[in-house]
Amino acid sequence: MVFRSAFITLVLLTMAGTGVAQNQPAAPLAAPTGNAQRGKVLFESSLRCYACHGFDGQTGSPRLVPMSRAEDIFLAYVRKPATQGMPSFVAQPEADLRDVYAYIRSIPQAAPAADSVPVIKGVLDRRTKAN
Amino acid sequence: MADLHDSSEPKGPAEAGHSGSLDRRDFFKGAALGAAGLVVGGQSAAAEAPPVQPSPAVELPTLAHDLAYAMPAQASGPPPARAAGQGRPASDFMVDVIKKIGFEYAAINPGSTFQGLHESLLNYGNNSAPELLTCLHEEAAVAMAHGYAKAAGKPMLVIVHGTVGLLHSSMALFQAWADRVPVFLIVGHNRNPSGVINRPHSAQDMGLLVRSFVKYDDEATTLERFAESAMRAYRIAVTPPMGPVVITVAAELQESIVNDAPRIPELTVPAPPQGDASAVREAARMLVAAQSPLIQIAKLGRTPKAWDLLIELAETLQAPVDVLGYSSWQKFPSWHPLYGSGGRGYTPDVTLGLEVTDMSVPARAARANGRKTISISAEYLFQGSNIHDFGRYADVDLAIAADAEATLPSLIEEIRKQTTPERKSAMQARGKQVAGAHKELQLNGIRDARHGWEASPVSVPRLIAELGDQIANDDWAIVSGHQFTGDWQRRLLNHDKPYRYNGDCGGFGIGYDSPASVGGALAHKKFGRLSVAIVGDGDLNFSPGVIWTAAHHKIPLLFIVHNNRAYHAEVMIIQRMCGVRGRGNQNAHIGNVITDPNINYAQMAKAYGMYSEGPIENPKDLAGAYQRALAKVRAGEPALIDVISQPR
Repeated sequence: MVFRSAFITLVLLTMAGTGVAQNQPAAPLAAPTGNAQRGKVLFESSLRCYACHGFDGQTGSPRLVPMSRAEDIFLAYVRKPATQGMPSFVAQPEADLRDVYAYIRSIPQAAPAADSVPVIKGVLDRRTKAN
Repeated sequence: MADLHDSSEPKGPAEAGHSGSLDRRDFFKGAALGAAGLVVGGQSAAAEAPPVQPSPAVELPTLAHDLAYAMPAQASGPPPARAAGQGRPASDFMVDVIKKIGFEYAAINPGSTFQGLHESLLNYGNNSAPELLTCLHEEAAVAMAHGYAKAAGKPMLVIVHGTVGLLHSSMALFQAWADRVPVFLIVGHNRNPSGVINRPHSAQDMGLLVRSFVKYDDEATTLERFAESAMRAYRIAVTPPMGPVVITVAAELQESIVNDAPRIPELTVPAPPQGDASAVREAARMLVAAQSPLIQIAKLGRTPKAWDLLIELAETLQAPVDVLGYSSWQKFPSWHPLYGSGGRGYTPDVTLGLEVTDMSVPARAARANGRKTISISAEYLFQGSNIHDFGRYADVDLAIAADAEATLPSLIEEIRKQTTPERKSAMQARGKQVAGAHKELQLNGIRDARHGWEASPVSVPRLIAELGDQIANDDWAIVSGHQFTGDWQRRLLNHDKPYRYNGDCGGFGIGYDSPASVGGALAHKKFGRLSVAIVGDGDLNFSPGVIWTAAHHKIPLLFIVHNNRAYHAEVMIIQRMCGVRGRGNQNAHIGNVITDPNINYAQMAKAYGMYSEGPIENPKDLAGAYQRALAKVRAGEPALIDVISQPR
């Protein structure tokens, strides 16, 4: 029971930490320490993060890009995820996780504005006209 | 399930001799001579071949030997020719029954246990109403009928071979059962099999093989019983809750000769039951008094009338409509102001479930929080016991055993009666608030398509948005489910007609989408609707033969293969399990991904005779490919585009 309470506290603290990181006013994140090139291989071929998050970290759920978490908070999260669907990478060497983080940070951050994509603008226009 | 019968070898009655007196011995003699002729031909060809080492003497099987095992005992010689006035094949009478029911199509994969009926459909029934659809697998045949029934609003006939065909059908029958969709299946049967091949096509109780997931099965032992059982089966299949039915018909009965056919009864389908008046009144009272009611739907929409009735109910109450997930037919317009669950912070105090198979989750949540649930469903009138798709026990506050569609008019009328001017203005205020919240959510949902817009592999929202752009002026219908494209279809495409979306598989088994899409497209063909299916690569590999069926029968349909080269839901599930056990993800792809070598579905389609393009990896190539493929579909042909896509 004590262990369980401690675990819940840890999860809550992790979530709170994540939340703080997400809610912080756009303070620039420190530069990643890992190797992005190696991280890409891990992301796509070994750890296969793309399965949930998409090959570019933009298309899956949840989206990883733009990354709002600092490196150490990211590491803590992927080792003990707060959500049930996210696999735990507690057994993965720290260097691997830092490389993956570096790769995610290297992915171009900005998606185009919806209105600037004619096809999406067309959908928005049709939706607006519908009611 | 073709068997060893070769129609070119044994001569039919017209060719076998005027007297029809060719006995079994003569028949085999002729067949053996035919086989010998084949050998002679072989020798002629061999004369030019280099000499070969002599083989040890073995007795080679002859055609006659094979036929002796393949043919049922009483049919092992050619059937005797019939003189005028000597009766007619019983299977002709079966065709009369089938025509009276009114089937447009019969999906088949051939088999000797229904050769009598097959021949009658062709030569007595003129292969018209029903027209035979040649399917390359019985699961595909039944799944086609499943998709067709939802789009056409009536069952398709499926005819399959004894045991083997029925077993191949079983998965698709299960899906139809779980989706509450009618399919009418006839299975052939050798009641007294004699040969090594036919013995396994016989069963003491054929229906037992699928009884856990059909609504009714029967063996028609006489023609009179066939006629009555067929009418009864059809009636049961289309009475809510709908479901598949199976009639077993022995080959011996099909091939018998009858002089006096029994009367064919009239087909009468009962009117579906409406909810008890006092219970409906109570439901209306609860809904009118509710501060924040929510309507949930699943298997609502037997007919297009349900679409209009549900809009009327939602607008009368000004209540949001949650179409639920993959198991729902989702018969409510996706861009309607009331489409959704009310927006952030909307907590329903009364939830109305309409044909929601499993109400246990909202019911338990409501009881824990002092809220109420109402369920109107035909599920209460009939429920299987072996398959647990009904979920956990739902202790709703008010359960009405009735067809929800049939009950909606009286419920709407009662709500109107009980709505005071004060409640009406409260409802209008609620509707305005909900509509505003929904619109913002929906617009943001569309804007989200921008993420990964330029990504390669192609993002799922781009795959769908580009399609929507090109079919915006067509009368289109999505005939596949959306299990593997998330909610992007309903975000990006305006489902403003009941036929825009044909629902998902029902039983969450893979292999439904591709064949069901062909069936759905067939139903839409006569209305000139443009049918599109977005199918997973995993799904297509279960029944690739439907590509040929669509090409052969000229069923216009655009197949878009959402080719993420994996069973991606399973990739994620195994990754999670690896993580739970702390053993690393490095092996999670084994058994889950479909690579090395990659499969080229465009080439596959070409091999089956269908226009195709792909694989497309660059999203910029998508629009042109769609344009060219859609031109083919608009001209009445099927086409396939293979899109290398993001996982989800």
